[in-house]
Amino acid sequence: MSTTEKQTRSWKAERVLDGMGKKLSRQITGSLVACVHCGMCTESCHYVLANPGDPTYAPAYKADKIRRLFKRHHDWTGKVFPWWVKAGSVYTDEELEELKDIVFGRCTNCRRCTFSCPMGVDLATFNRMARGLLVSVGIMPEGVAVVSKDQWETGNQMGVLKEDYLETLEWMEEELQDELDDPTVSIPVDQPDCDVVYSINPREVKYDPRTISDAAKIFHVAREKWTMASEGWDMTNFGLFSGDDALGGSVASRLYEKVNELRGKTLVISECGHGFRSTRCEGPNWAKFDVPFVMESSIFTMLRYIKEGRIKVDKSKNPKPVTYHDSCNFARSCGITEEPRELLHLVCEDVREMYPNRAENYCCTGGGGAMSMSEYTRERLKSGVVKANQLEATGAEVVVTSCHNCVDGLTDVIRHYKLGMEVTQLVNLVANALVIEGKPAHAVVPGLEVEAGSNAQA
Amino acid sequence: MSTAVFEGTRLHGATVRLVRDDITELDVDAFVFYASHDLILGSGHGTAISVRGGPSIQKELKALAPLETGQAAVTGAGNLKAKHIVHAVGPRFREPDLERKLRSTMDETLRCARRVGARSLALPAMGAGYYGIPTALCARVMLQALDDHLRSDDALEEVVISVLDTPQWEAFRAALEALDGGKAR
Repeated sequence: MSTTEKQTRSWKAERVLDGMGKKLSRQITGSLVACVHCGMCTESCHYVLANPGDPTYAPAYKADKIRRLFKRHHDWTGKVFPWWVKAGSVYTDEELEELKDIVFGRCTNCRRCTFSCPMGVDLATFNRMARGLLVSVGIMPEGVAVVSKDQWETGNQMGVLKEDYLETLEWMEEELQDELDDPTVSIPVDQPDCDVVYSINPREVKYDPRTISDAAKIFHVAREKWTMASEGWDMTNFGLFSGDDALGGSVASRLYEKVNELRGKTLVISECGHGFRSTRCEGPNWAKFDVPFVMESSIFTMLRYIKEGRIKVDKSKNPKPVTYHDSCNFARSCGITEEPRELLHLVCEDVREMYPNRAENYCCTGGGGAMSMSEYTRERLKSGVVKANQLEATGAEVVVTSCHNCVDGLTDVIRHYKLGMEVTQLVNLVANALVIEGKPAHAVVPGLEVEAGSNAQA
Repeated sequence: MSTAVFEGTRLHGATVRLVRDDITELDVDAFVFYASHDLILGSGHGTAISVRGGPSIQKELKALAPLETGQAAVTGAGNLKAKHIVHAVGPRFREPDLERKLRSTMDETLRCARRVGARSLALPAMGAGYYGIPTALCARVMLQALDDHLRSDDALEEVVISVLDTPQWEAFRAALEALDGGKAR
């Protein structure tokens, strides 16, 4: 850029443009140059479908807001004939704020548009790049700032303090001992040389500890040699959402280092789409870490236990009609679509598909960290009409998903559109379906004996 | 974060140590919180301070806010192990003149620590992490400021640099080793 331009630009605008040059990988550059504006992506976006007639929600339109900067500053076409390729620049903080509203508020990085693009343009990847550039100069939604700082400084994205985390594990251990009437059941912490180190989402500690006790119950019945970690236990990674690769690397390395310290053989990642993608797929690159142990989603672990006969399940314990919501990160970014269904069919009696599904499923509306960006809640819930219609058409009473983010996104949509459905995860269904030898299906009250199986209900 | 310690070096009579621990839980006379201009404790270490330390800290801060970049203020530490917290408002997010501003923030922070007679002081990697200040620059500026300050501060016996992750650890360890090999005394 010229000296004159530098003098008239805010320092934030200048840093964003300079930073872009360092982020232009072949994948991002390919996506930035390849768009032919054919419009194939338009109908794939849930924001477009919920806002018919408003072209500003179209993925190609949103992408052009980033692409114009690339064209002007990093591509020869924008330097030779900027008017033709619609090249442009940014000068003020207000312009950056407008860009923030697009990259954080109008796209959940769900990647559905990518699957519709004949040129393979990956909007989510360069949208994430744009987020990262804005975050690097302090321009981000307030919720993103809060969560990022929490994860940097407390090691987890919900600011759960160590004592609260450990107390919750103890509490869940006691609950489980009572439930199974077995004082030997434990939730081990920092046990070295285990076959499984189990990592979780801090949401489980703060809002849904039942998922922890359900997982512990499954590990106990499977006689797994497992542990949780006192530090480095958060498998989520807000760096994926905020575009901050340094945060991504820091969080991932804390997790990997702890598993190494404990000499764990397998890191099992509880059900979370972005957590799995961040830890299993992106983390080793962000952290520049050569991971020496196996990393698997708990979906695979639970399925393995059933196939190996380590746990027995009775699907009649989950009789309600259920449908499965594919998390964007599992289905589109990691290609995991069949294993959760296989597991679901093993533990539920009545499974109904929603359409479209698998890699073509629609976002729950909470993708890309959207649940933390309250300033965009209205737009998000409006876009949720697409998901609501999908859910309603299944006739299911329960929506199952393998992602804590999706649990919150779906719960919000169900409440907003008054669908009256429950949201649950595979771990809850598997734990509920467990057949525990020697344990009666119901509490035995003298004089009020009930035949096992006569009143089974999820 | 796992507790880890690098014994570091002696600098003008004071011990400088590197740890990987929760700074808000350290048993020191004072620790430093990288604060915002409005001195609202907020998230991250701010959550830990307000939850573990109790409401008195934010109450004290109300009377001290706002501060400009480069300024610092001291409060009590409530129920925490430390006696004082130095709330330092440093540069953030790659703003212009970063190095000079970080240096003046460090100088003001150390003056505050001297004012309360701190014999042990814990510092985070000032502005690194969430605020995006490059870790190597942070380590260099902080150790230069410490080197200069400790020439004239006889009261400060122990400085603990508390980092968050391996990149910060490596940067400070390298800077401390360079100090040790070059000019530690």
